[in-house]
Amino acid sequence: MKRSRLTRIAAVAAAVALAASGCTGTEQMSGPGTDGRIAYLDYGDFGGGSNPQANYNPYLDASRLGATEYVFEQLIAYDNYGCQAKPWLATEWTWTNPQTLVWKLRQGVKWNDGKPFSADDVAFTYDMLKQHKALDIKGIWRYLSAVEATDPQTVTMRFTQPGAAAFTLFGEIKIVPKHVWSTVADPVTFPNAEKPVGTGPFTVKAFNPQQLTLGRNADYWQADKVKVDELRFHKADGGGQIDQLKLSRGEYDSNAMFVPDIKKAYVDRDPAHNKYWFPSGGSISVYMNLTKAPFNDTAFRKALVPAFNRQEIVDKAQLGYVKPASQTGLVVPGQAEWLPKDIPNQGVAGYDPARADADLTAAGYSKNGDGKRVGKDGKPIAFSFRVPGAWTDWVQAQRIIVANLTSLGFTVRAETPTPEAYENDRAIGNYDMLLGVHGGSCNMFRNFQEPLASDQSAPIGRKAVSNFVRWNDPRTDQLIDTLRTATDEAAQKAAVADLTKVMTEQVPMIPLWYGAKWFQYRTAKATGWPSEENPYAAPSDNLLIITNLKPTGTNAK
Amino acid sequence: MAYFARRFAFFLGTLWAAVTLNFLIPRLQPGDPAEAIVSRLAGQSESVDPAQLQAIRIMLGAPDGNLFDQYLQYLGAVVQGDFGVSYTYFPYSVTHMIGEALPWTVILVGVTQIISFIVGTLLGTWAAYRRNSRVDSVITLGSTFLGTLPFFWLALLLIYVFAITLRWFPERGGYGGGSSPGWSWIFISDAFQHSVLPAVALLITGPIGWIIGMRNNMVQSLGEDHARLAVARGLPRRRIALTYGARIAILPNVTGFAIALGSVLGGAVLVETVFNYPGMGRLLLESVSSRDYPLMQAIFLFTTVGVLVANFLADLLYGFLDPRVRKAETA
Repeated sequence: MKRSRLTRIAAVAAAVALAASGCTGTEQMSGPGTDGRIAYLDYGDFGGGSNPQANYNPYLDASRLGATEYVFEQLIAYDNYGCQAKPWLATEWTWTNPQTLVWKLRQGVKWNDGKPFSADDVAFTYDMLKQHKALDIKGIWRYLSAVEATDPQTVTMRFTQPGAAAFTLFGEIKIVPKHVWSTVADPVTFPNAEKPVGTGPFTVKAFNPQQLTLGRNADYWQADKVKVDELRFHKADGGGQIDQLKLSRGEYDSNAMFVPDIKKAYVDRDPAHNKYWFPSGGSISVYMNLTKAPFNDTAFRKALVPAFNRQEIVDKAQLGYVKPASQTGLVVPGQAEWLPKDIPNQGVAGYDPARADADLTAAGYSKNGDGKRVGKDGKPIAFSFRVPGAWTDWVQAQRIIVANLTSLGFTVRAETPTPEAYENDRAIGNYDMLLGVHGGSCNMFRNFQEPLASDQSAPIGRKAVSNFVRWNDPRTDQLIDTLRTATDEAAQKAAVADLTKVMTEQVPMIPLWYGAKWFQYRTAKATGWPSEENPYAAPSDNLLIITNLKPTGTNAK
Repeated sequence: MAYFARRFAFFLGTLWAAVTLNFLIPRLQPGDPAEAIVSRLAGQSESVDPAQLQAIRIMLGAPDGNLFDQYLQYLGAVVQGDFGVSYTYFPYSVTHMIGEALPWTVILVGVTQIISFIVGTLLGTWAAYRRNSRVDSVITLGSTFLGTLPFFWLALLLIYVFAITLRWFPERGGYGGGSSPGWSWIFISDAFQHSVLPAVALLITGPIGWIIGMRNNMVQSLGEDHARLAVARGLPRRRIALTYGARIAILPNVTGFAIALGSVLGGAVLVETVFNYPGMGRLLLESVSSRDYPLMQAIFLFTTVGVLVANFLADLLYGFLDPRVRKAETA
């Protein structure tokens, strides 16, 4: 490894300067950390745009840095893969009635400035989100009516309606210290840039726009589970090519990026240590404009379900990284326990053009003498199918989808507008057929309410919130309402099962494949990463992962 | 004096038009910045959370009043140097973000522009002085050839050879992750290391325009009567080239150079993007792609004002350098 002389001089100068100032700098610290812990791990990007500024306000989603994930904590931590809530700052919670939730807080938790954590901090945080709507990024005050600290270890939350549907949101709202934030004039414009105070496992140690370094919080309430002394996040380049190179050289212990041909470019470089896991995210579905014929005919939509070659899309357009999606709208296999028992193959439809052809003909859409499929008005069916031209994997999928539809006798125009025009037309209902993303979260209410509830829709020409297909069905609305107010799991499961039936029998949209959550990890220094074999958390569940990592060579799981 | 007064009035008029266009153009563009932010956060394969969209809309705030009121407010703010808060870097102000990016661009692009101008002018003079010789062919053909190569390809080639294969210089960025910006020797040497490849990329293509321009102007000025008279009088060739040819030939290039220096404020978008250099060009690209209107407007304004001021100064200088211009306008 040849380095220029200047680099070496600079490195020597740096070393001398560091030694002279006695500073425990973050550069070139190697070897094992103290007490057998891992000295440091290298992570990928930390957010904040191309020229990030110190911003540790956990509610400013557009500009905060990734450090907030490790400095602040929530009442509960969600395993977003298996959808299990784990006790975190709260140890227990009880619904005393469907509109009242009582939290028991963990004892002995301290803020990283030494002050004790208490119910006052929780009540203050939630009140602040109520006062400043711009900070309520999860929309929790759509459900809450009041939050109060009943005693130093107890918080009582009251809801305007039965509140079970909001429960997953408590796994996403970070709690901030009252003694710091109550002195801030306007928390919306507060970057919290100097030594952010939180309860989390790490504190901010050093920051410049190229690198963010977090140091272990020795007084953390479960410090014995944190086996890493330092996390170093590195700014990514815009296009990602240099990062792919660094990834393949093993310069990241963990990253979350798209890599073409990951086996050759990453795994094969060091098969013993380089691993990846791409669990499924939301469903990517064919959205049909339900206000137009023939898409307003249930029999027509149902006949189209087996018309798409999902496996070909997955293999050719998505490099085999993802899985074909279930027609139920759920993410399988992760959410399989929510499925009704009688659904074959977890609701994933196979490719069967002969059946699609027969069903379309039976529904009154037969082919004419030229092989063109005609509508009920006797004219050949012609429509457009759009994807954003800049999203090349979707353009690949578009080719397969259009070929599938053309072979059934439809006349399909493939269009590739800009992402902005695409999103705008989708929201105002100015399209025939295109792709949309829905579901994939642990909040079953959100998964079905956002794409299907009539109150998320809007007349054609006005922007819909999220029901872009304009599904308007009183029974669906009623089921979504049942799901929103259901307090026990059995009632929630019953409502979800009925909603999956709406998806399979009335086909408001046709899911094709699942978006992937990118996740690469190396086991050279640390083991215990979530994986297909050990899926204890989703790749984004940072608190769960960091408390589960162990130095390689010790009792690896 | 009338010449300078007229130039100044012209400058003020153009400045007002630029400021006004700068206000209008972003408002005519389609697209909602809050939606752009949320889709960027969610990525292509995740569904967008309507609650998050709502919160970000409230955070960014809606403009008050009708278009004319907004225009007056905007003019008032611009005069006071208040460009608002960046959407992408909320709650940091646009002024703060520009303050972070400007020094990088001014040093990298400014220094390479000056070197390019000097080198280009000298090479162009030399080529014209020895026109139709081997030196001339090498300089002219060589620079034409380099000029046809796509710039980003050259830049990527430099990265591939010197950063990835040989590992002599860092691949990207303005400084490394370990040092912190400041006036320390470590940081400055680190920043210098990072600036070598982008500077080389700029210097390979930078002088080409000056070379061609200077050579063509000079070939023309050497053909004029006074130069021919000097040859007839038997003056030394070198003296004819420098004091009779170059002195006149350089005039058009002075204006070009002033504009080039003025546009330094806008950064070098291509080179800063390829090398991920933390300057104005990269900031501009990012603000456009994420619909960060306040930041975008301010950078456009800076660039426009920079070019206008430079152009104005060049006009003034021109008046001194070339008495014919002053005379022609007063007459």
